Amino acid sequence: MKGSRCLHQLKSLRLLSHAGRLLPPAAGDNGALFRPRSSSQLGGLQCAQREVLRHFHSSPACTKGQPARFVQEEDKTRDKSLVTHDDLFEQVAKEAKTKATFNKVIDVYTKGDIRRRGHVEFIYAALKKMPEFGVEKDLTVYNKLLDVFPKEVFVPRNFIQRMFNHYPRQQECGVQVLEQMENYGIMPNIETKVLLVQIFGEKTHPMRKYQRIMYWFPKFKHVNPFPIPEQLPEDPVDLARFSLTRMANDWDAKVTVYQLPCTDVTESGAEVTLPHIVGIQSPGQMEALAKHNPDRPVFVEGPFPLWMRKTCVYYYVLRADPTPPEEKIEEPYDPERCLSYPLQLDLDLDRDLGDDESFDVEDLDEGPVFAMCMTSQGDQATLNQWISGLQESNPILGQIPTLFRLGAGPRELQGVGDADSASRSWFPSHVQREEAHPGEEAEAVVEEAEAVVEEAEAVVEEEPRRSQGVKQ
Amino acid sequence: MSLLRITHLPSGRLLSAILHHQRLLPSIIPLTVPKRAVIQGEYKRPGQPRKAKFPWKKINFNFSKGLEGIKKHFTLLKKEFTDRWVGPEGKPIVEHMLEQNRAVWEFRGPESLGEWTVSSDREIGGHSEAYLKLGRNNNTCFLYGTLSSTPPRDGETRYSGYCTMRSKQPLASFDRKKHHDWSSFNTLHLRVRGDGRPWMINISAETYFSHQKDDIYCYFLYTRGGPYWQDVKIPFSKFFLTHRGRIQDDQHPVWLDKVNTIGFTLGDKADGPFQLEIDFIGVCKDYAHTEEFAYEAYKRNPEV
Repeated sequence: MKGSRCLHQLKSLRLLSHAGRLLPPAAGDNGALFRPRSSSQLGGLQCAQREVLRHFHSSPACTKGQPARFVQEEDKTRDKSLVTHDDLFEQVAKEAKTKATFNKVIDVYTKGDIRRRGHVEFIYAALKKMPEFGVEKDLTVYNKLLDVFPKEVFVPRNFIQRMFNHYPRQQECGVQVLEQMENYGIMPNIETKVLLVQIFGEKTHPMRKYQRIMYWFPKFKHVNPFPIPEQLPEDPVDLARFSLTRMANDWDAKVTVYQLPCTDVTESGAEVTLPHIVGIQSPGQMEALAKHNPDRPVFVEGPFPLWMRKTCVYYYVLRADPTPPEEKIEEPYDPERCLSYPLQLDLDLDRDLGDDESFDVEDLDEGPVFAMCMTSQGDQATLNQWISGLQESNPILGQIPTLFRLGAGPRELQGVGDADSASRSWFPSHVQREEAHPGEEAEAVVEEAEAVVEEAEAVVEEEPRRSQGVKQ
Repeated sequence: MSLLRITHLPSGRLLSAILHHQRLLPSIIPLTVPKRAVIQGEYKRPGQPRKAKFPWKKINFNFSKGLEGIKKHFTLLKKEFTDRWVGPEGKPIVEHMLEQNRAVWEFRGPESLGEWTVSSDREIGGHSEAYLKLGRNNNTCFLYGTLSSTPPRDGETRYSGYCTMRSKQPLASFDRKKHHDWSSFNTLHLRVRGDGRPWMINISAETYFSHQKDDIYCYFLYTRGGPYWQDVKIPFSKFFLTHRGRIQDDQHPVWLDKVNTIGFTLGDKADGPFQLEIDFIGVCKDYAHTEEFAYEAYKRNPEV
């Protein structure tokens, strides 16, 4: 690899450079001390090519190629007032905050002083400003930042220097750059390694940190059994589709888009935004719903949070209470359902004495889940729409009473910080209910309203203080 | 990777030669490495005064509580004596030897919540919250709250935003430390229902030296989210050694004969509400798993 060849060349050239450094800086010498000697030989590396030959005694303003807007900075430095490195970034920040402007600030700094005075403070300021400029996940920017360090000055030259933490501030600064890379999960590359060797040498703290990153990151890169792509889909319908398939964990589950988001203008001129409604149901769930006893109600519960990296989406669930044991009928497997292999085997597979692979824990039966949906607006009207959409494929929903157990809306969830936060919960046992709106909309579903309400209240053991929204 | 980012604690591996604190401009991250004590004591929150409480003032003289305490401890003592006649750890020896699964923590009532300690970065001045209660039907434990990664303004802490639930150290009679003995098992089996956030499981074992007090063996717990329960099986060979949130170079497998506590930590830098529901935590013996340790042994001076 080109990089490793660079390393070998560096090692051989360092012996030459040691001889070179003993020469005092002559007036005519163009500050070449701080240019890596091997720059001419390592043509492929970015870092080497950006070094600018500067005359030792000439003023910075004479340098070609500096844009005019930084002239005011030169005036400032001539004022000899204290200017923090943050100000450099803040000045540029008044324009666009992009990678290009960030790189420009670094260039201004590196070309400003051949000795790179205050480079540690500059690098710390740059690390702090990276998220504002949006470059915190960019490896090239980190390499460019590491390039700010003068090369070969901090490399320990004998065993005493190696023992005694040579240039500790700079080493700590290098470690902090790598730590920010580690925080954002960015894997360094060979260029980082070459830079670290040039700047600090081998067997120093930044190099050890680099080795640790290179050891542990590959080990933990694929440790997530449910990986999430770096870039989640922007479109809410696509995002809902992705997250529903993720939760459903069933290849046969089918995603249906019941409504696409659109903005309608009604006759009165008011804008009505229709939210998207995306639902998912698998054939197994459809069968289970078809076999569901119409006397027992089903519940629409939600919203429940689902986090994917830094985005949180909310989903709603259609489920029923578990059937009491006396009503459970175990249907025998229909042998004609699958002709390639028998679904039920009556073999006496006695395991070894004491071989028990199951836990002695009572099985939690929380009731079947029939369908899930995601929508941006989680009020009863939208969920009613979802249920009516579901009814097209599950006609039994017309006879089953549907109760809505909706919790606090997503917007209220962000502001959890008051004293009541302890009482809030996502699950219906302690949830605040929406008030019932009887007869708010005429639904296509036909139901016996009062009889159903009585049955529901008798059947469902809930505390009387809770109000139930009954679909009419 | 998102390990616990408590870097306000002294990173002892670095820069022991720094003794001067440079007064840098406030916009720059200050690098104060405090003097390390010879014995690492309790964590002292930065800015808190050292409260000098006389040892006799710490004892609480309360008659009814004292009576309860005596009753509790003597019951435990009696149980310990009689258990020895039944078998090791109170189980018949056949059961102890052939045991393949053991549900160590099951949340079947409010008293099971008393075995756990919940904390968040509120202790160091942060703004996260974490609460623990019983889940639906009193059958599960429900850990919920909000994460906030704004670091506390004490000048030292740089990252924040974590919450954790840790089991209490099992105690024998008279508050003597007891340990979990999981030497005949090799896998941790959990039944959880999360919201898609990545958690970290921390196992803390009994150590000898005081410097090893914060040695924790960690592994990731990735939840899928959704309404379905998730069975998670993690072999103990996958747990790596960390100290105060930093992964160590010298790795070795967790010694299962004296396990003190298990804990769950969330620190994934995503601000917002979180929830985790746990049905049970058990250990089992997976005969198909023959790996002893997933990470390589330490080489003292690895070449670059």
